Amino acid sequence: MLREVARLVWGPSLVVAADLIVKGYNEVGDGFAAGVVVVLATALTYVALGASGAERALPFLRHAPKLAVGGLLLALVAGFFPLLLGEPPFSHRPGPGAHVATVGSLELFTPVLFDVGVFLLVVGVLTVMLHHLADPDSEAGTPLDEPHDAGERA
Amino acid sequence: MDEHRLLGEPADQSRAEDQGRSEDQGRSALPVDRPGWAACAIVAVGFALCLWAYRRGGGSVSWPWAPTLDLRLSFSLDGLGALYALLATGIGVLVFAYGTQYLSLHLAHENRPARERWRFWPWMALFAGAMVGVATAQDLVLLFVFFDLTAVCSYFLIGFDRSETLTRRAALMALLVTVVSAVALLIAAVLLYVRYGTFEIPQLIDRAQSGTTTTVAGALLAVAALAKSAQIPLHFWLPKAMAAPTPVSAYLHSAAMVAAGVLVLGRVHPLLARSDAVLTGLQVVGLASIVVGGLLALGQDVLKQVLAYSTISQYGYVVVLYGIGGTTAAGAAAFYVLAHGVAKSALFMTAGAVTMATGEDRLSRLGGLAPRRPLLAISAGLAAANLAGLPLTVGFFKDELFFEAMHGAGPWMTGLAVVAAGLTLGYIGRFWILLFLGRCRTEPRPTPALLTAPVVVLGVISVVLGLVPGPFSRLAEDAGTVTAAAPVTVLPGYHATASAPNLMALGAWTLGALVLLLPGALGRVSTLVARAGDRLGPLRLYTRTLRGLFGISGALHDREVRNLRTSVAAVLVPAGVLTGWAFVVTPTVGALSVGTVRGIDWLVLPLLGLVTVATVVAAVSRARLGMVLALSVVGFALSGIYALVGAPDIALVSVLVETTITLVFLAALAGLPRDAPPTGRFLPGPEAAPHRQGRQVLAGGIAGLAAFTGVWGFLSAPTRAESIATEFIRLTPGAHGRDVVTVIITDFRGLDTLAEITVLLIAGVGVATLLRKGKLW
Amino acid sequence: MILAFALAVAVLFGSGAYLLLQRDLLRVVGGIALISQAAAVTLIAASLTRGQAPIAPDPSRPVSDPVPQALVLTALVIGLATLALLLALVHRVVVVFRTTRREALTAEETERAHALEPEQQRDRDEAT
Repeated sequence: MLREVARLVWGPSLVVAADLIVKGYNEVGDGFAAGVVVVLATALTYVALGASGAERALPFLRHAPKLAVGGLLLALVAGFFPLLLGEPPFSHRPGPGAHVATVGSLELFTPVLFDVGVFLLVVGVLTVMLHHLADPDSEAGTPLDEPHDAGERA
Repeated sequence: MDEHRLLGEPADQSRAEDQGRSEDQGRSALPVDRPGWAACAIVAVGFALCLWAYRRGGGSVSWPWAPTLDLRLSFSLDGLGALYALLATGIGVLVFAYGTQYLSLHLAHENRPARERWRFWPWMALFAGAMVGVATAQDLVLLFVFFDLTAVCSYFLIGFDRSETLTRRAALMALLVTVVSAVALLIAAVLLYVRYGTFEIPQLIDRAQSGTTTTVAGALLAVAALAKSAQIPLHFWLPKAMAAPTPVSAYLHSAAMVAAGVLVLGRVHPLLARSDAVLTGLQVVGLASIVVGGLLALGQDVLKQVLAYSTISQYGYVVVLYGIGGTTAAGAAAFYVLAHGVAKSALFMTAGAVTMATGEDRLSRLGGLAPRRPLLAISAGLAAANLAGLPLTVGFFKDELFFEAMHGAGPWMTGLAVVAAGLTLGYIGRFWILLFLGRCRTEPRPTPALLTAPVVVLGVISVVLGLVPGPFSRLAEDAGTVTAAAPVTVLPGYHATASAPNLMALGAWTLGALVLLLPGALGRVSTLVARAGDRLGPLRLYTRTLRGLFGISGALHDREVRNLRTSVAAVLVPAGVLTGWAFVVTPTVGALSVGTVRGIDWLVLPLLGLVTVATVVAAVSRARLGMVLALSVVGFALSGIYALVGAPDIALVSVLVETTITLVFLAALAGLPRDAPPTGRFLPGPEAAPHRQGRQVLAGGIAGLAAFTGVWGFLSAPTRAESIATEFIRLTPGAHGRDVVTVIITDFRGLDTLAEITVLLIAGVGVATLLRKGKLW
Repeated sequence: MILAFALAVAVLFGSGAYLLLQRDLLRVVGGIALISQAAAVTLIAASLTRGQAPIAPDPSRPVSDPVPQALVLTALVIGLATLALLLALVHRVVVVFRTTRREALTAEETERAHALEPEQQRDRDEAT
């Protein structure tokens, strides 16, 4: 039953994360929390299906490193693009007090991009860590009276 | 170098023909170097842009970067900037085109995959961009940033053949020398800022006066520039850097990176000119470089080493000219850099083409290539004539201007100038003669036209500008005007009079001819100097310093890391004792308050109690699993506390993070290999039980007591100053938000968040390195 | 209230310090986790004002200080990353030295230092 729950929970976790980012500006929530929500769902999948099973069920996890770096770049761009317009970094567009286009309660302005970048980076980095910690060197768990040259490889 | 691999086969005729045939077949199958042509196109566009901007009279642009710190991104395409930018991009187009063929052949010879090109071209393109940045930067800190960017790019480019130890070592040496000396540039910038209040170069030039600050800052700037241009005594990295592939040497070590050093000299020259000591120092260093570089170039066997020492020597000319100062010298120096860049990159590309064709890189094993490669021989000859200052090439003018400036500086300089030019003619004549005339020791294979075409173009440029020097002299005038802070006229021309430059030129050619006719004597001197340099020179000092640093690092490591517990206790216990002492000594009457307990705090108190209990359980738990579970209880209880004191964002993140930490801990516990059975050397005992020793409890107690007194005192005395929180709360609606904490994180203090997520990324890379040797997935 | 927070921080820090001096490496990591929590609690306790959550606050009532909250938020996530890194370190130590006991580590490391000499020499030769 754990497997079914894990399978079912992953998609909605993305929705919850999106919700946290979207309403982050008006209510509780921000990119960090959203990222950790997705990672927790992934961790649940790892626990339920085992490391290799989880990676078969969610093959796009392979792209986690690219996601992390992409998130950092997005955050950098969102923060520093005002330099091109002659303003100090982290000024947001539209400016303070100006009208902002909204989609529901999501306001479309540049700090949201920054938040998304943070989200992507947190998801990417923590997924990478999960992957490594859940499936470390193949000698994991073997009793150590078997000879192995630990320092030479890994 | 890779060419040595080809030396394994005997250089007999039939084998060479076979190789030639398979070369042809291989060449037709070489993939088009798309990244290379893309980089070439980018640089060509850059060249066109710079040329267009220069023709329109230049321009400048300035963005505020951190206005409170007086940092601006200011770039200006003035005369000096235009000269170096055009040089870097113009030579870049030719070298990149050359490199597309060269790199493909190089990779094919070494059986390396073609996708290694993606490790090469982005760095080359970035380097070209960084050079334009160095040329146009008007702010000392910005100059420093681009300066170091070129050094980083050169590290990756020199170390391209990273499987060879020599290459890696050379790349590291180049990086260390240029980056460490660039710190001098930063120190000079800070010194000048403290004294004159600005980082902008034009303003500094206006405000600076002669004095200690200016002298020291000028000396530091000069050190950074001289190391970059490979002058004595920081020259030793350049010959080693010849381990780089030829396009890198043709670009970086002839016209771009080493040019960045003299560019800095030219840019801040008005500052340097206010201090006679610095100018004299420049002259001394320049002369030493000319002589040592020239002498050593005479005795070298490897093609690229001749050219490397020649570069050291030629940039010595420019440094001496800057040391002399004045309008004539300023114009002469700028012209010199242009003419030299054209000549030297052509010669480097020749060396590369020859090596690719024959598989040999030593003069002693080459020769007689003129009848087999007439076009290459002629073009290389033109480039060599340019370098030597023979008439009908632009080199004649560069030497004419040099002689004129040196003559104006006195009889000693005049004599030295003649000697210098004679040496140059000597070593470059030797280079060309040994390479193209005489007996053919190794037959050349056919090589693609693109390996020869850029040399031809540069040779033609040398001759055309030798007849019509207008473009170069205009550039040199504009550049010299910036350097000398006064109008400069550069009038190269053929005068059939017994003027001083003509006489000096004649003297130099005679001297050079003598050197060519008597190779033995000077060759022996050269070898002696080289050996003395190896034994007593700066390279030895560098190696010794690095080894000494390694030794210190090892000793520190042995001393500090050996015993973890002592290190930890050594921090905790004295800190605790000191805090306790401070508590005892300061008057505490009225300083500590117990605090009031309001409404919701009655719920917080039991949670705090739970936290305390859980912590103690975690500390004394016999099983590791118990410790982990107690830790999670602590975390969740704290989350509850955060929610109750009005910090819902923190509560949310705390709950999520605590769950993840627990999962990670459990995964670590489960995944650890079982410990080895106790070896009997230490007290046997169950692995999992915590070792309860009185000393540890005492240490923990002291630490806890210190924390208690410190935190209680700190919490009891909140500041009376206006908190920035009210400011943030007021500004949040204007920032289109309602949750102040999120707005602070992503907007008001976004830079902090950016730094912190970089830390996250680094931790991720760290985990990958530890568990999978760096493979990220 | 202040006293209560100070006591909690003291217990957290003291237990963390006690665990840091333990023989078992995993307990050392647990000690670091406790000390991170102590820091977070100190920051939150240092809020200059306490009241409603700082989300569209009602100006008539006191608002909780948002600045320490912003600091603690990123600190918590970085604490997570740091703990993961430390656990990876412990894993490597166990794989290489086959023990998590600290004294055994010292002895093993002395033995291995001699064996690692050629590698260290190679690293030094790398640069000079």
